[in-house]
Amino acid sequence: MELGRRIASRLHDATFDRIAHVGVANAATHRPHIVRSVLELAGLPLGAGDAALVVAAGPSLHRRRSLERLAARGFPGTIVAVDSALAACLRNGVVPHVIVTVDPHDRIVRWFGEPALAAPSADDYFRRQEMDPVHATDEMSANRAVVALVDRHGPRLRVAVATSAAPSVVSRCRAAGMELFWWNPMYDDYERPDSVSRELHRENGLPCLNGGGNVGTASWVLAHAVLGKRRVGIIGMDFGYPPDTPYEKTQYYPELRDMLGERLGEAFVHFENPVLGEKWFTDPAYCWFRDVFLEMAREAQCETFNCTEGGVLFGPEIKTATLEEFLDHG
Amino acid sequence: MSEFLKGNYELKVEIEEHREDAEASATDEFERKALSRLGGSICFVSKKGFLWTGDAPKS
Repeated sequence: MELGRRIASRLHDATFDRIAHVGVANAATHRPHIVRSVLELAGLPLGAGDAALVVAAGPSLHRRRSLERLAARGFPGTIVAVDSALAACLRNGVVPHVIVTVDPHDRIVRWFGEPALAAPSADDYFRRQEMDPVHATDEMSANRAVVALVDRHGPRLRVAVATSAAPSVVSRCRAAGMELFWWNPMYDDYERPDSVSRELHRENGLPCLNGGGNVGTASWVLAHAVLGKRRVGIIGMDFGYPPDTPYEKTQYYPELRDMLGERLGEAFVHFENPVLGEKWFTDPAYCWFRDVFLEMAREAQCETFNCTEGGVLFGPEIKTATLEEFLDHG
Repeated sequence: MSEFLKGNYELKVEIEEHREDAEASATDEFERKALSRLGGSICFVSKKGFLWTGDAPKS
């Protein structure tokens, strides 16, 4: 098995090791402030019908101008966006019904705008990442624009926030006037007596959502398992990089470079996108997300339509459609 | 327990680690290091459904 796939196959346990301790600590911090469960979202009028569109923040969201097209066409169903796609949605006049946030690390607050940011970050994460390219050119002015956008729309926004989320993210959402609906990430097998998930549920009574490794998959799970949507379209869910992307512009480049050195290139796994005929590639983390999504899609009580028009997510459990096809018939 | 399992004799031959084992060990270490910095932002639990709202009440 090639190195990239071998690493991907071991990320299940590595993810637990990486985030469980901080996620559980954050849950304890949030505990006194938890008021509403994510299950309450199902009773709210969030769009019409049984279709939802999940907006993730992969490179196709910008390459395919998916948000401009969504705004132009309109969609009567429910729109669920990941945190890193929020600003792009608002810039394009798309106000999601629900935003999902889960990552326990403080830097995630940037996706909601950091009012106190006084200088560009020491690390180049926001200048390098592909999720919202406006941060790559002028990090400071991009942040100011996000702060203004989120402040303006905050009182209309609902956030499905995991108890693992960074306290800075929760503070920012509250300050912007957003409504918070809480859930626990499913960390492990809740049937085990020593389960972290079971203990969290015992402490705060919140449901545990199986997140599939990343906030995009968690948003898709929320759309069908919490909101009960039966037809779920996804955009910006690439789990990979376009053919012309330099390795240094990929999400996990610094980590892979430091760990693999000259073997860096072996970490990337290549796929031909059957719709575009383009050769996309993915890193071990995104490769794991892809495999998990395909496994979960086999069990889901919904039809999934990949309208990303790019990326590496395809398989028998997932239908492929253009965005307009889904918006018109979804 | 290890204090009771110490050897109390000297071997007459020098034990050399097999090269293949050493390489495999280096690879494991190499991957362990890589894994410690990779991974997702939320776990995935196989075959446990999408949502757990607690145990169903016993009938």
